Amino acid sequence: MRRGVKGWMLAALVTAGCGMRPAENRAIVDSKVGQAQQGGLTLVVEDGLASVRELTPGTLVLWGNAPAFSARIDVSAEAPSDWLVMVRNAMPDAVLVAEDAAGGPLAQESLPQALPTVKVWRVALRAGTSVRLSVAPPDAESPEPFRFLALADVQEALPRVGDIYARMRRDDAARFILFAGDLTSSGTREELLEFQERLEAGSRVPLYATLGNHETFTRDAAEYHALVGRGSQSFVFKGVRFSVVDSSNGTLDPAVEEQLEGWLASSRDGTHVVAMHVPPQDPVGLRGGGFASRGEAAGLVGKMARAGVDLTLYGHIHSYYSFTNAGIPAFISGGGGAIPETFDGVGRHYLSVDVGADEALRQVALVRVD
Amino acid sequence: MLFEHPPRSRWASLSLMVVLLTSTPGLARERAPGAEGRSEDAPLQAPAAVASPPPSRPGFQPLAVPVALVPGLLFHGLGPLVAGDTHTAKRLFAMEGAGLGLIALGGVPIALTGASRRTIAPLYAVTLAGFSVLGISALANLYSVTATAFEPGVAPPVLPPLELEVGYQYVNDAVFDYRHFVSVGAQARFESLRLLGGVRVAPSEGNTQVRLGGAWRLLGAPERSLLGTDGSALDAEAFGQFHRYPTEGFAVVSGEVALRGRLAMARVSPAMAGSFAEVSLGTSLETYTYPGAVSDGNLHEQLLFTFGYGVWLGRGGPFRGEAMLYYDHRKDSFAGGIRSRGGGVVGAFGLRGRALLTETWGVAAEAQVGGALVGRLSLLYALGGAR
Repeated sequence: MRRGVKGWMLAALVTAGCGMRPAENRAIVDSKVGQAQQGGLTLVVEDGLASVRELTPGTLVLWGNAPAFSARIDVSAEAPSDWLVMVRNAMPDAVLVAEDAAGGPLAQESLPQALPTVKVWRVALRAGTSVRLSVAPPDAESPEPFRFLALADVQEALPRVGDIYARMRRDDAARFILFAGDLTSSGTREELLEFQERLEAGSRVPLYATLGNHETFTRDAAEYHALVGRGSQSFVFKGVRFSVVDSSNGTLDPAVEEQLEGWLASSRDGTHVVAMHVPPQDPVGLRGGGFASRGEAAGLVGKMARAGVDLTLYGHIHSYYSFTNAGIPAFISGGGGAIPETFDGVGRHYLSVDVGADEALRQVALVRVD
Repeated sequence: MLFEHPPRSRWASLSLMVVLLTSTPGLARERAPGAEGRSEDAPLQAPAAVASPPPSRPGFQPLAVPVALVPGLLFHGLGPLVAGDTHTAKRLFAMEGAGLGLIALGGVPIALTGASRRTIAPLYAVTLAGFSVLGISALANLYSVTATAFEPGVAPPVLPPLELEVGYQYVNDAVFDYRHFVSVGAQARFESLRLLGGVRVAPSEGNTQVRLGGAWRLLGAPERSLLGTDGSALDAEAFGQFHRYPTEGFAVVSGEVALRGRLAMARVSPAMAGSFAEVSLGTSLETYTYPGAVSDGNLHEQLLFTFGYGVWLGRGGPFRGEAMLYYDHRKDSFAGGIRSRGGGVVGAFGLRGRALLTETWGVAAEAQVGGALVGRLSLLYALGGAR
């Protein structure tokens, strides 16, 4: 009888998505983000930094999840030559560089758009060739300090998220928003589409995200992968590396941790910002809102500290906390409006972060919305 | 900064302990009229003065067993009710209702307050108390209809003053390299004091956990002389722990205190004779050290909470021991918490047993399912165990 009870419990845990590696499937799906073959094109977005929203003969629509990214395209003999390339969630000043395999420029024309983060180009692709498209603002590789905004946990407050974007618009220096998960309540396609529509309508800068545990509630974040991008990825902007990792199960899958180790190694001497949804360590230990294993959490923050990470940003806890983990400055900024932590005197908020390639972390400021 | 949360959380921790202890059914009977004048170390006896004679232990009804599973795991008194044991059924329905009520009483405010740092400790206490009562009643529901087929076990009349153990531990954790451990331990029993120590070492990888501490019996008879008692007890525990992770490059040092209560379930119903419920509540403080240039310096708190439902093995002879199915909320163990879609809030589930097979030899075993799978099997050797 007792064995039966235990078996029932195990089965319940497994079916609830609580296996030994609950994030493994998402790590696998991550590797396929940004790849498509249709309409005469075979497309691979390098490092999966954009998701393919539409690929039909003559039309390519990408959702950018980084300030700068490149795509390699093989054009079949049957493909049309006239293409519209649309990048949503792009930097407002992003430009397209289209080159053939020999590095020669391709004919292109930028088409004006009403929304600041939507960029459209008309590009001539020659059938039977390979081309490379790069989308980035002109200063993407210059090392001057810059500002970005950190936000997390909008969830059911999606109808009111415009207030946050309105407050953000008052800051002309901010280049983009780094979002640490829980965009929506349950990660459905409808919710994510609404999130993106409200973002495009309300924000003058793009938003680059990792997923939160709420995104996993629908088909283990399949819609997030299709509409937004990878849960774990890394990009460099103006000499500062940003790495976001999928910690939505209170753990890092070993495959993701291996990826992170590579990113840590590549930026050991540079400025590195790491963001994830569930913080490894909850500063309120009695609550225990961090990782499921305190040993894993300590190992992770120690690894980041040894690699010289300059700043860690988290969500999941719907308030503002400033603390350190293994000596790294750490902030929880779950102020997107999801059921707020009461009695904290904070309310909806986000962070304004100034960083630089040569100066590392310069300043983190709390910005209240309400 | 890390410790900007107010000192009020310390009071909240204390209130958390009080709520759970007062929610443990039956412990209050320590101060029942029949127990007046008894010294703290005197054996606990079932209350003698009752208005009506207690119901007798019911007979075994096979039909009640499947009913106790489905739909009995949803309606905890149904199995005993089908068996005609209305006394037990009423108790279990009441426990289930109380458990669900406590979960709602604590859980709804947690959701509404966004797990506020100001209120989380007492609300957590109420919620976990609810889960413990609900879990205990679910398992009691199964036990009450199956155990009537057998003669119930009894609390070991006497346990040896010193037990030594050596064994093997297997850990399968996707994020750690270690797998195989040597496990050694010792337990010394004095009058009201028990001293415990254990070491787990992964010889190939170097991961090492050292745990030392003790338990002071506040209520109930000492383990060395439980004869004539039902085994109910309340202990205050204190432990220190050092855990070194050489591959991951850190070590953790922690200290913890807890209260652990055990209630003989025969006090709830005769159908549950031979079983017990156990709840513990405490807190730990831990600090992490990283060799080299990394400096942490933080002191981390942790809520310690367990509940379980167990049975005594043996009926007064040389074979004596216990087995318990339990939940453990701690996240710094080898099992850790379950990595779920809710993050890392839920702890681990486990089954452990410990028994002396003869006057001097015994076995202990434990299996846990959390973020990792843990299994341990040990050989026990008792010194001075002549009964």
